[in-house]
Formats: sequence, structure tokens, C-alpha cells
Amino acid sequence: MDTFSYLGQGFGVALTPYNLVTALCGTLIGTVVGLLPGLGPINGVALLIPIAFALGLPPESALILLAAVYLGCEYGGRISSILLNIPGEASTVMTTLDGYPMARKGLAGVALSLSAWSSFIGAFIATCGMVLFAPLLAKWAIAFGPAEYFVLMVFAIVCLGGMAGDKPLKTFVAALIGLFLSAVGIDANSGVYRFTGDNIHLTDGIQFVVLVLGLFSISEILLLLEKTHRGQEAVKATGRMMFNLKEASSVFVVNIRCGLLGFIMGVLPGAGATLASAVAYMTEKRLAGASGKFGQGDMRGLAAPETAIGASACGALVPMLTLGVPGSGTTAVMIGALSLYNITPGPLLFQQQPDIVWGLIASLFVANIMLVILNIPMIRIFTRILAVPNWALVPVIAIITAIGVYAVHATTFDLFLMVGIGIFGYLLRKLDFPLSPVLLGFILGGLMEQNLRRALSISNGALDILWSSPITFGVWALIAVMLLVPILRIWRKRSVARRVVADV
Amino acid sequence: MLLQRIFASVLLLACLSLVLMAWPYQAPFSYEPIGPRAFPLLMLGLMGLGLVYMLFRPQPTKHTEEEPALDRDTLVKIGICVTLLIVFAATFESLGFILSSMLIGIPMARLYGGRWLPSVVIVTLMAIGLYLLFDKAMDVPLPLGLLEVLEN
Repeated sequence: MDTFSYLGQGFGVALTPYNLVTALCGTLIGTVVGLLPGLGPINGVALLIPIAFALGLPPESALILLAAVYLGCEYGGRISSILLNIPGEASTVMTTLDGYPMARKGLAGVALSLSAWSSFIGAFIATCGMVLFAPLLAKWAIAFGPAEYFVLMVFAIVCLGGMAGDKPLKTFVAALIGLFLSAVGIDANSGVYRFTGDNIHLTDGIQFVVLVLGLFSISEILLLLEKTHRGQEAVKATGRMMFNLKEASSVFVVNIRCGLLGFIMGVLPGAGATLASAVAYMTEKRLAGASGKFGQGDMRGLAAPETAIGASACGALVPMLTLGVPGSGTTAVMIGALSLYNITPGPLLFQQQPDIVWGLIASLFVANIMLVILNIPMIRIFTRILAVPNWALVPVIAIITAIGVYAVHATTFDLFLMVGIGIFGYLLRKLDFPLSPVLLGFILGGLMEQNLRRALSISNGALDILWSSPITFGVWALIAVMLLVPILRIWRKRSVARRVVADV
Repeated sequence: MLLQRIFASVLLLACLSLVLMAWPYQAPFSYEPIGPRAFPLLMLGLMGLGLVYMLFRPQPTKHTEEEPALDRDTLVKIGICVTLLIVFAATFESLGFILSSMLIGIPMARLYGGRWLPSVVIVTLMAIGLYLLFDKAMDVPLPLGLLEVLEN
């Protein structure tokens, strides 16, 4: 029952007035950031890292702020997908399918509050799961040596390709780009300058914030140039704002089911919110059968993906907190934030800094409740923000991005680097490469190299340490399965296509 | 498809030159079996393999529905936008935050379809507002540049 006393301690941290205000600011900022096109949870969180640091927030408050911003961003993305039918990011595509028809029916307010509620239940289920499993996993993870960690990170990278589905090769190349970029800078073990081209600003490597903001913000600014015409009118959120008890109970079973599903998907590295929401939607659609009006404003169709997103967002924190291995773009950003505070997530974090871990978990509860409550008075203001035209928005995004980058090291070199990375990111996006594997690779790269070198130092260069222990062997087997999944999938698709051709 | 082949080959060339760059990386005295060049070489090698495969068998590219084809107009706009961003980076410290953001913010607002007067007003207010917010309220130091005279 240690866990519960720790959780109580966590609430003690999260419920101090200072941290409550932090969480409130975070949810508000996050919602606005998520609303705006061109800014998503990844850049929202990344922008705030240097600012939180400059403000001198203590680490647990900074982490609470970032988590609140993250949840707020998810919520803001929901507003634009329900009212505008424009999904802010890949994971909210499923929300538009039934959310927008509901808004058209005059249930915009209900749709919004119901989605916030669903997400809250999802997060609640996942947080309970985290409370139960994370300490166990952390205890188990102490047995991990460098070889095990290395193999686990290989698994995380491979999972990205195996789960992301239709473009395994592009995902793989993107992750390798990130892995390589992490090697730029001085090598900590030997003092050799790697790939710096004698540039003094590259000595300690590419700054994480610069990479994130370049890849995501600058490339988004360039992408927005192509879409100068945007005549879509937001659906007015009028009438009833809150869902009623009947509506909530009609989707309750869906909530529970999708919450569990989302949590499991979130814990698996690489799967993440996008896959979780899609699987949840499809499953519920199939379960509802002919009785459902999916696609025409069925509440279950709205609740299913939202619950799954909420649950997987919290589930993704499990591997990050217990193993120190992030499974998604956003958790990778959070690791970046933690490393600024010299905190290394991993099994020892639970013992050494329980305040941070449990404070974070508790504040996830608090931030979710805040979002449900905020929805009622604020929704009219939020919908007005949606009407901000691109020409006013883009310069501001560019300027704020530059501030975020400049705040890290106060050098203009980083600004140039950001523009360069932004152009590269734009090219990657035009060619349909996924960007978050680059980020994940960048975070994992340093850890991977350190663990590989450490492992081989232990074995004095003998490679068999990488697969001799039962844990490593098991993980390699999983890696092999993950590598086979996309190949099998493509192979099956091809044979189906061939059969169709043969039938014609 | 062609675009992807070009991209893959350029990236492949970059990989090769980076491999050449990494080849001489050797620790002056070593106490571990793996030196500083193994990991980058491994990554570059794997990336190279992936890119070679892509060169011969380009992967399908999905475009989202509202994305128009790249035409001359858009390319020119993207060029201008990139130039503005570079100018921003170059003048950030010398002109100072407020002036350089106005310098690039106003043309940028025009580029995205704003009219002159509202663009000038909004960008100016934003530049000053953001400066006050970040530099004064949030302790993120920003350069004042030419405007330093005003401060005294």
C-alpha cells in the first residue's frame, strides 16, 4: 500500500496553491496553443521548456506546467476538429468523424464537454493503471544493465516502424536521421569533436529545443503558405454546454473499454495516440453494428477516440518514467525538459524523487478536471480565437519560435540552425516522412550510444553480451516480430491486390 | 517519385561525406573497446542501406486532400519566407528584437494575405507586447539592439 501513500503525497504536491495556479496557466496556454493551426502539443511543450527554465520554476512545477500544457493542447486540438472539421494533428482525425456532425446538429457544446469528459475518464483509467504498474515495472527495471537498455531502445525504434503502418521504410530512415543527429558535438567519453566542422556553437551538440522548433514550427509555417485560402466557418457553439447524465451513461461502457485499450496502446512504444484512437473508433463501430450512426454524429463515435487518446497520452508516461525510454514525440520532449533539470528518468526516479513522479501523476488528474470545468465558461472565447486569420498568426508564431530558440543559449547561430532544420523538416514533410521518429531518435540516440559503449566495455568488446541474458534475448525476439509485421502487412496487401486484379 | 529519388540520392551523398568525415575520429588514448566513431558509422550505414532501397523502390507518397500541387507561385512564396526567416536570424541581435521582428513580421503578414494597415498595427503591437512579456515579465533576456538608446 506504499503506492497509495505516495499518491497522497503526490496530491499534496499538486494541490499546493502555487502548483494549482501553474496547472491552470498551463491548461489555458495549452488550449490556446492547441487551437491555433501550426502549433501542436510538441511545439507547445518545447516552446515552454526554456521559458519554464528562465522563470526559475522548481522541477516539479515545471513538469506540472508541461503536462498541463500537453493536456491543454490535446483539448485545443479537439475544439478545432469539432467546430471546424480540421484535425489539428493526426490523432484527432477520428474525432472529426462524429464530432463535427454533432456540432452541425447544434450539439457543439455537448460534443466539446463530452469529449473532455471522455478524455478525463481515459486519463483516469490510465492513471490508475500507471499507479498500479509503474512501481512494479520500476522495480523490475532496476535489474536492467546497459545491454538490456540498449536492446530496449532498439525495440522502441523498431516499434515505431512496425506500428506506424504504411510507411515503415520512411519511419526507419527518419529515426536514423535523429539517431545520427544526436552524435553531433563533443563525444563525452573521448573528447573527440564529431561533425562540428570546427564550429564552436556545435560543440555541445544540436540543442534539443532548436531541433524541435525547427522541425515542427518552421516547417509548419512554410506549409501554411500553401493554404492561404481558408474559408471555413466555425460552427457556433450555442445552446447547452454540458452533457447530461443520460448522455454520459450511454457512453460509459465505451469509455471504460477504450480507456483500457488506450492505456495498453500508450504503454507500447511507438503505438501512441494516433493508432489508439483509430483502433478504438473501429472497434466501437464494429461492436455497435447496425444500431450505431457512426459518421453521422454518434456520441459513441466521439467518446471512443477521445477516451483512447486521453488514456494513451497518460500510458505513454509509463515507459518514460519507469525506464527512461520515451515512446512518443511528446514524451521525448518531456525527457528533453527533464534533462535540462539534470533529472534522468528511469527506475531510480521513483525512489530518489517521488515528489516529482507522483506530483506529476496527481497533477494529471487535476489538469483534466480543470479542463472539464474550464470548458463551460471559456468556450465562447476559445471559438473566437479560431477566427484569427493566418496573416496575423504566422508572424507571431515565427517570432515566438525565435524567442524560444534564443532563450536556450542566446546565440543567433541557433536561429540560423533552426531555419536550416526547418527547411529540412519541410522537405521531409512534403515527401511524407513522419517527423516524430526524428525527434525520438534524437533523444534515444545519446542514451543508446552510451549504453552500447558501456555494455561493450563490460564485456571487453565481446558482442555476445547484447543477446546473452534472457531479457535481451526476449527483447530481440520481440524486435524480430516487430520487423516482420510491416513486411507481412505489405505482402498481404499485395496479394489481395493481385487477387482483385485476377478477378477482374 | 522523382522528387523522392533526388532526395534519397542527395541524402545518400550526405551520408557518404559524413562517413568520410567520421573515419578519422579516433580517441587519442582509449580505455574502451568502442571508440567514438562506431555508433555514427553504424547509423549512417543503416541509413545508407535504407536510402539505397528507396532509390530503387521509391515509397508511395500520400498527399492530404487540401494540399495543392507545388506551383511556381508557392515556390516563390516559400523562397521569400525562408529569406525573411534568415534575415530575422541575421538582424536579431544587431537591430534588436523589436525592430527585427517588425522588419520581417510585416512582410510576412503581407505574404500570408494581410492588408498593409492591419499588418503594420498588429505586428508592431505584437513585437512590443512580446518583448515586454518575455523580457520584463518572464525574465527571458532579449536583445534591444538599436533601441537601447531609449532605455536610459
